[in-house]
Amino acid sequence: MRETYGRLLPEMRLADLGGKLIVIEGTDGAGRSTQIDLLKPWLEELGHAVVDTGMTRSPLAGEGIRRAKEGNNLGRVTQALFYATDFVDRLENEIVPALRAGFIVLTDRYIYSLMARAIVRGMDPRWIRSIYSVALKPDAVFYLRLGIDQLLPRVVFSRGFDYWESGMDLYPGHDMFDSFCSYQAALLTEFDRLSAEFNFQMVDAAADARTVCAQLQKNILHLLERDSRKNFISRLYNDSITAPQPTDTGLYAIAAPVAAPSANGNGNGNGHHHHAAHPGR
Amino acid sequence: MEIGSGVRIGPFEVFAPLQPAVSMVRHYGEHRFPGRLIVVEGIDGSGKSTQLSLLHKWLESKGYGVVFSEWNSSPLVKDTTKHGKKKKLLTPATFSLIHSTDFADRTERSILPLLKAGAVVLCDRYIYTAFARDVARGMDRAWVRDLYGFAVKPAIAFYFRVPLETAINRLLDGRDGFKFYEAGMDLNLADDSVESFRLFQGRILSEYEKMIPEFGLTVVDATLPIEVQQMQVRQIVKAHLDKAKELRVQA
Repeated sequence: MRETYGRLLPEMRLADLGGKLIVIEGTDGAGRSTQIDLLKPWLEELGHAVVDTGMTRSPLAGEGIRRAKEGNNLGRVTQALFYATDFVDRLENEIVPALRAGFIVLTDRYIYSLMARAIVRGMDPRWIRSIYSVALKPDAVFYLRLGIDQLLPRVVFSRGFDYWESGMDLYPGHDMFDSFCSYQAALLTEFDRLSAEFNFQMVDAAADARTVCAQLQKNILHLLERDSRKNFISRLYNDSITAPQPTDTGLYAIAAPVAAPSANGNGNGNGHHHHAAHPGR
Repeated sequence: MEIGSGVRIGPFEVFAPLQPAVSMVRHYGEHRFPGRLIVVEGIDGSGKSTQLSLLHKWLESKGYGVVFSEWNSSPLVKDTTKHGKKKKLLTPATFSLIHSTDFADRTERSILPLLKAGAVVLCDRYIYTAFARDVARGMDRAWVRDLYGFAVKPAIAFYFRVPLETAINRLLDGRDGFKFYEAGMDLNLADDSVESFRLFQGRILSEYEKMIPEFGLTVVDATLPIEVQQMQVRQIVKAHLDKAKELRVQA
């Protein structure tokens, strides 16, 4: 059954969340949206229904975040929480219903980007993790990794320096180039840490888009085949037996804070892992 | 992830970002700021805003630099909250998050800098309002407390305690119903807004009662005459501010 990172939102029923939640992560300019634009029609051709989503696309908070960023006076804690609002709105009203309906959800960034940004801005990792403990564990996280040297020409030479992508809220008074380098390097370091902890599947984003896409397709096919095989086998065994009906009462037993959430091996679908509490680093 | 490992980080600690990529929490006690934070809490109709405004005038007359901050009033966030309420987009989780966003902006933009500047900051509703309402909406108690882990601890948190019926009678005097979220209509507790309000505020009251010992709230009997309550409030505030030597007072 699908799991969260430890806490359950009210009314969130996990039992019937089929579908697949596939995350494309990576820093600015890693080519995430290009890949999603390639993957979506490919998956649809294979016969899968696909929903794609990404940051600031929520009907509730998307517009508010854009407006707040225009003024360049959005504080760090406020920013982290505004994005959390946007995320949870999409989680509850977009991602969960799509999974329930059996869709493949392709998400451009997920909680990892949001955690990395907050941590780089000095937030306590325990604080931001607690907030995102309500997120669903995805079926796979593909991390499009790009070094700072490759990142710079891609981002800057195509669209120029952006205030937020350069982390200018963190380094006021710096010039945008220096700020960009420091900020993106700090983000990369944080992503690498998260990568180990949450078992990202690393994809070298320096290659051309077609090559990157081929690798993603291979891994996604593997994921889909593995699960369809598993479903087929379980149907063979379960058809004659009455499947237990999941009930709300059963699920609310999980709603209490769970002490052993672990993301390790998440992408491999074998969710039994020892959990060690390590308060911060 | 170490979520739920029982590590408590708040509330009442302020995130003080240092160097990027260095994650630290600096622990600020109330004594670290020259200013003083005083908040009022209670259900709608408890009379807390009346009491706070009387306190405000009195403190000004004593020469203190006084600043007032109201729940749900951030210029950056309140339009989003309004939009969510109007279109009924808010779930218990996003209701909670958007209010914490509003509170964060007010903390970063005004509450914190003003306390550093030596002002008396008065807040009409504070994090306890969120704790009471969000838990009444079914949010996890520990999650909501973590969410507000960046809040500054108030010097005094007054809780204006009033029986539910008294509050309802005060509120219905002059209007004939309650707003959708105010009455907790999103929870489908009852079809009638007054009945829904009663059930929802009942839950909120019981959360407040639990928070009195948890956070050391100062209880004021809100059924007493306004003047008597105000006298008690001023006495408590005076005793506290007399000790606060670093507070800026105009001659």
